[in-house]
Amino acid sequence: MIVLARRLAQLVAVVLAVTFLAFTAMNTLGDPLFNVVGFVAAVDCDAVEAGEIEDISGQGGTTLGDCAVVAEAREEFHLNEPLPIRYGRWVGDLIRGDFGTSFKNRMPVSTVLADRLPKSLLLMGMAEVFAVALSVPWAIAAAYRANRAMDRASTIGAFGMLALPNFALGVILFYFFVVKWQIFPSRFEDDNLALRLKSLVLPALTLGMPLAATYFRLLRTDLITTLQEDFVVMAKAKGLSNRWIMFRHALRPSLFSMVTVFGLNTAALIGGALIVEQVFSIPGLGRALVEASIRDDYPVVLGATVVIATGFVIINFAVDLAYSYLDPRVRRES
Amino acid sequence: MDTPPQVDPAEQFGVVVARRLGFGFWIAAAWIIIIVAAAALAPWLPIADPNETGVGGRMDGPGWSNWFGTDNNGRDMFARTIWGARVSLIVGFFSVLLGICVGGTLGMIAGYFRGIVDRIISFSVFVLLAYPGLVLALLIVGLAGQTLPIVAMTLGIVAIAPIARLSRATTLAYSEREFVAAARVLGATDRRIMVRELLPNVLIPMGALTLLGMAITIVAEGGLAFLGLSVEEGFSWGKMIVLGSSPRTLREGPWVAMFPIGAMFVTVLALNFAGDRLREYFDVRELGIGAA
Repeated sequence: MIVLARRLAQLVAVVLAVTFLAFTAMNTLGDPLFNVVGFVAAVDCDAVEAGEIEDISGQGGTTLGDCAVVAEAREEFHLNEPLPIRYGRWVGDLIRGDFGTSFKNRMPVSTVLADRLPKSLLLMGMAEVFAVALSVPWAIAAAYRANRAMDRASTIGAFGMLALPNFALGVILFYFFVVKWQIFPSRFEDDNLALRLKSLVLPALTLGMPLAATYFRLLRTDLITTLQEDFVVMAKAKGLSNRWIMFRHALRPSLFSMVTVFGLNTAALIGGALIVEQVFSIPGLGRALVEASIRDDYPVVLGATVVIATGFVIINFAVDLAYSYLDPRVRRES
Repeated sequence: MDTPPQVDPAEQFGVVVARRLGFGFWIAAAWIIIIVAAAALAPWLPIADPNETGVGGRMDGPGWSNWFGTDNNGRDMFARTIWGARVSLIVGFFSVLLGICVGGTLGMIAGYFRGIVDRIISFSVFVLLAYPGLVLALLIVGLAGQTLPIVAMTLGIVAIAPIARLSRATTLAYSEREFVAAARVLGATDRRIMVRELLPNVLIPMGALTLLGMAITIVAEGGLAFLGLSVEEGFSWGKMIVLGSSPRTLREGPWVAMFPIGAMFVTVLALNFAGDRLREYFDVRELGIGAA
């Protein structure tokens, strides 16, 4: 219970700190109004009213009416209030479940998130499934005959895999499977689940293969260590089969570092998904974030920020819970 | 686990040095030196002008006149790959330098003074780490502009948190050691202890981290390029890969993307390998003469 409360406090603190940073940065470095009303936003309306400037854009056609639009937009998005108050207002809305309105098309941010997030989650989920499905059997096979040819080759292979940036891997896969052999569609197809899954295979592989290499390295090392423990020797002495020992005795306690990294890697996974979505043109959360941040559409940026930071903290909490399942010793200590 | 045979530490050190760095390390180091030299000397090398169009035909395959082929404007890809290394390596080096200067210092301060300072720094690091670095970089570059200094600085800022964490942990471990206590008893000031006693010990793991960090930031710069946020003027490997990766270019001339990919892959591989080797080499505990 105390652990849970502490975690919750941590979550709130992290989300507040991250969004406050993003909020301040977006308001001081960019001009949010520009996206609402266009270049007129930069005009000094006081000067226009005083009659000091007449033609603002240099192309004619900018009148006092435009200044009214600017003022109206300022009012609508509360941009004329001091920064801390606006941030407070934003947090207040957030608590009530209101993420605000996108500057770009005036859609509620929650609609944008609800549209984009499932695609990103599906992509990341598939990537993790691929990564685990590849790495666990691979590591078991390698650790089973440690330091033999197969083990050495796969260790080198994993090291090489980690040096290949995911966008490079994406381009290579795209070249062979889309351009050359035309097995997979060149863009994201959203018509039904089967098509959606099919168009996510390559992106998920791109994201999952480096992960698989990371998991492989950790699990292999841990398995080799576990296989030298006394309880494995004991199991062997009892005459249990190698397969039984590997799967029923050695595998579970060896999953420890892999699970840790599973949590730690979430940030890298989200960053990777950002790029992979870009390479394969998937309209996911990452793309929404990229587009919004280029346009200074800060309600969307902040909404995505909240989702990402929350997801990250929750996954790390889940990892902590997984420890106590994997190793009973942790449970007893806490 | 096979335990290493017990030998005289000094003797072991000498033997192990020769064995540990190994042949692979020198190959990796040689590649890094070649690529750095090529990038630094690019204006004086006898290669084509990377921005001159029509050096070869349009989309010529790799051959004798253009080793890496030409792109759709007939620009020489070999020259471009070498020039692209300049931006990639500059971004990689300076961002890690910034990360180590700021992050290393913050980590040492947190680990040495503990208390409230440590709390504040650790929480900031925790917050920074709770947010995907690439997203942070994207926000900063997207807002502040796409120039070489800003890109390098941004990736440096992203590197601060993990480096600060490592430096704090190392400082914590060392500030409990006898030589620090001895210095304190002798009346050394905090500053002197940090600079003369702790810094040399913290710098060692940082050294290996420099190479690994460069690999990470070179890749991160490529990632930014894919988000359309790399340097606007000039080009890096990442930007070259983006330019070569449109379906049409891939169909007509896959080499336009594949050579920069190859260059980046081999360089990152070499940096990772050399960094790993150096880390093992300097990890005193693995040699059996460490703290325990």
